[in-house]
Amino acid sequence: MTVLTATRAPAITRAPSRPRRLGVRAAQLLVGAVVLASALHLDIGWSDLAQLPADLRHYLGLMFAHPDWSRLPGAFYQTWVSVSMAWVGALLGVVLSTLLGIPAAAGVGPLWVRLPLRGVFAVLRAVPEVIIAIIILTVTGLTPFTGALALAIGGIGTHGKWTYETIEAVPPGTAEAVRAAGGNLLEVARWGLWTQASPELMSLALYRFEINVRTSAILGLIGVGGVGDLLTGYTQYRQWDAVGVLIIVIVVVTMVIDGISGAIRRRIMRGARTRDVDRSS
Amino acid sequence: MDTTAHGPEAATPASGPWPIRLTDVTVRYPNGVVGLRGVSLAIEAGEMVSVVGLSGSGKSTLVRTVNGLVPVTSGTVQVGPYRVDQLRGRRLRHVRGSIGMIFQGFNLADRASVYHNVLVGRFSHTPTWKTLLGLTSREDREMVMSALDSVGMLEKVWGRAGALSGGQKQRVAIARALSQEPQVMLADEPVASLDPPTAHAVMSDLRRVNTERDLTVLVNLHLMDLARQYTTRMIGLRDGELVYDGPASSATDADFEAIYGRPIQTRDTLGQ
Repeated sequence: MTVLTATRAPAITRAPSRPRRLGVRAAQLLVGAVVLASALHLDIGWSDLAQLPADLRHYLGLMFAHPDWSRLPGAFYQTWVSVSMAWVGALLGVVLSTLLGIPAAAGVGPLWVRLPLRGVFAVLRAVPEVIIAIIILTVTGLTPFTGALALAIGGIGTHGKWTYETIEAVPPGTAEAVRAAGGNLLEVARWGLWTQASPELMSLALYRFEINVRTSAILGLIGVGGVGDLLTGYTQYRQWDAVGVLIIVIVVVTMVIDGISGAIRRRIMRGARTRDVDRSS
Repeated sequence: MDTTAHGPEAATPASGPWPIRLTDVTVRYPNGVVGLRGVSLAIEAGEMVSVVGLSGSGKSTLVRTVNGLVPVTSGTVQVGPYRVDQLRGRRLRHVRGSIGMIFQGFNLADRASVYHNVLVGRFSHTPTWKTLLGLTSREDREMVMSALDSVGMLEKVWGRAGALSGGQKQRVAIARALSQEPQVMLADEPVASLDPPTAHAVMSDLRRVNTERDLTVLVNLHLMDLARQYTTRMIGLRDGELVYDGPASSATDADFEAIYGRPIQTRDTLGQ
């Protein structure tokens, strides 16, 4: 093989020398050092790990061998509270981030509007929903509404960013046509950009709802209600048979919602069929 | 708005075609590229003029100075009674309402219906809050329908624009421009994305617009046979400078070679 190519290919005399990748080497060393230092600092109890499979089997048995099905109605009710939290949070968050995200897109808002808005999105992205909930529960108390508000505010960070990025990715031609016909900025945004971007934005809004369903369960852990709240209580009182039922409900409901929402999103992105378009007049 | 003013009988003296006068127009883009260098030309009302040149010669810049999509760096642009280079904001948008434009890429909203796409042409005649909500008057609806009818696309009015073929999309784009009831029609390489038979059909539509609706038409082309066949006068651009201005049908191959700055090639013609 090598002999064959060596005889056939003409000898290359002036091949460029391989570039030195000092930066990459340094980065590799640095990452390695950080991993090593972290592992040493955490003082991992490797011997405990050996016990993990046995413990896991023990607790899984406690949870799922004889689930306490009498807890099912309560579990469903609290899951419904969590899903409501997710739904209201998604709706509020998407409406707010659409209103804020459109002027944050290049070509729509001027720089002095864009930059502060993007700053707000970046800060909100940096703060986890749980922290936001802890801050606003001082005002609204330990209620599911606090959870919904925290999801809405937390959602603005990512959804606002998705909104302006989606709008910026719309090909500029349609907007130019609206401008050429004498349209003003609002008309360009509404008919040049929104019509092109809205299916994608709707799909992202549904995706935000799916994310919120998962996050709302976590928010329950700080006591704003919903299935996470219930889970904390059962775990603290070591009612493993009830915990098992809760986990089953959470997993099933989350998967069902993901499935339905995903199917709707695929339908949206595939585009409406011709006869479905007319929603006017 | 005068509801009777569509169709061929729109050629009343009050709303007749507009002349276009460019005087020593230079366009320098913010990135330093010069689009036009000292171009002066006078297009009479109702003329059908082609602008010919290679890509990058300034054709697109030239037609966009006429409706102010590209601001001029120096020189004056007079369209009908308006000095476009001096207008901004609301008044510029008002003038644009009288200048229809079609594009190489059609520039329709593919995910909206044909109806909503054509309705865009009514924006400059409609209050903003109504257009934002998609509310229309009966006159607007009638104008949209008659514009679609005049390009033979009426039966597709409730279809999705994205589902149309290229030629159909350009027809809808022409209808969008016609629903403005314009005095001037601009076309930026309107047939460059179309196959030859469709290209001829769209060029025929443009010529019909010129004669039946009595509009001043300014169309960018890079194919010499289309310019000869469908337009009466030809402007040649090379590197942003006006290098030819004369009748289109009698322009010789040598004239085209001068405009292109190279010998004629087979890709400079469309054929039938």
